[in-house]
Amino acid sequence: MVDVSQHELVPDHSVLEEDALEEVLDEYDIDRTDLPKIKRNDPALPDDAAVGDVIKIVRNSRTTDQAVVYRLVVE
Amino acid sequence: MTEVDYAVDDDMIAVVEDSDLPRRLKDNVYETLEDRGDATVEDADELAKAVEARYVDTRVEPLDPVGTVSAQSIGEPGTQLTMNTFHYAGVAEIDVTQGLPRLIELVDARKTPDTPMMTVYLEDEFATERERAHEVVWNIEATKILALGDVSTNVADMRVQISLNRDTLEERMITPEEVAEIIEDNLGVSTVQQGTDIQFGPEEPSYRDLLQLVEELREITFKGIEEVSRVVIRREELDDGDEQFVLYTEGSAFGDVLEIEGVDASRTTCNNIHEIHRNLGIEAAREAIIEETNNTLAEQGLDDVNVRHLMLVSDMMTNRGEIESIGRHGISGSKDSVLARAAFEVTVNHLLNAAIHGEIDELDGVTENVIVGKPIKLGTGDVDLRMGSTSPESGGQAD
Repeated sequence: MVDVSQHELVPDHSVLEEDALEEVLDEYDIDRTDLPKIKRNDPALPDDAAVGDVIKIVRNSRTTDQAVVYRLVVE
Repeated sequence: MTEVDYAVDDDMIAVVEDSDLPRRLKDNVYETLEDRGDATVEDADELAKAVEARYVDTRVEPLDPVGTVSAQSIGEPGTQLTMNTFHYAGVAEIDVTQGLPRLIELVDARKTPDTPMMTVYLEDEFATERERAHEVVWNIEATKILALGDVSTNVADMRVQISLNRDTLEERMITPEEVAEIIEDNLGVSTVQQGTDIQFGPEEPSYRDLLQLVEELREITFKGIEEVSRVVIRREELDDGDEQFVLYTEGSAFGDVLEIEGVDASRTTCNNIHEIHRNLGIEAAREAIIEETNNTLAEQGLDDVNVRHLMLVSDMMTNRGEIESIGRHGISGSKDSVLARAAFEVTVNHLLNAAIHGEIDELDGVTENVIVGKPIKLGTGDVDLRMGSTSPESGGQAD
């Protein structure tokens, strides 16, 4: 199998810890279900991610140096 | 203290780092300071403050209708796009859909593009030696029987005769035995193979069956990937002056190609956003949509469309973890508001279904509020102002 995370189109995905998640949700004043989604069978998902986890994605942004976004894992 | 690669003193670094600027702008400030040479800390401070003021000024205000602005900013240059598909004359002699048809194809999220293609980068020696690059080509390009030799029918004996070309076989790394085996597997006939000659025929002597076999024989892919009909090798110069071979393909099978030996699975791409989504995930798909839309516009000299508009489109299309089209079957069709959906397309159907199911419109969005004649919740429409009863000078705040 090809290591998907090595592809230049794929940014860094990592599972966000619960307390870090609280901070993020507080900062934006949203629920976790308001976050953009990522499918459970997404090839770029880390192996230890389960449905309901929030994935932290660090993109190389075109407009700033790095952009951090979050996606909720769904079925 | 942040480390910077510029010849500026620590005090300057301190004032610049203190500003609310993204890394890239900070680097630009350092570069300017370095070029000046004789800049003082005060100059640095002034510069950083000025850049920061401009930067903050260009940020989107709260309640700004970014979606509407994006729609107009892409729509206007869209009127200048070519309505016809043009041939890709410059690079690689491969036909690629361009202009308006391509842009529509992207935002409609079509399952397969009109002209699928891949850009295949190669690894190590495959990228530098033409021989090795060709090996990869033969593993990708679909090889049909007509490329391997001559096919003739012997009507008297009811036999199909193939005489293979030894040089071609060697070049494409396939043996006559393999060819015979593939024919047996695909057509369900028994073959007689002698050297480079292969013979077979229908079980019962029948002229129709014989012609049928020949037809089917031509369709068989002996080597390579069925979807890829043509591969073009190009020698391209790298930034550091070295050269590398890059393959351009007509037709795409992204997942299969990534597995092939010699293919650089970290740079190879294709123009089918669904294939990228399947193989690399939703984030890569988002990136690909931005890249493709941006290239389509840039190809037509419309690269002054700010990339943020394209990023917004791409963010919307990938928001739910899968690629959604913009339009009736995608984003516009899945809006919460009945009125907003009815205002877009197929008005009667939406109103009828909403009535049958007893849907309630919360009037949260823009379109539905315009329809019912209420102020929209954008810009000043979402801000309430009241006259204060205490003056700010007395220290109290207006309530």
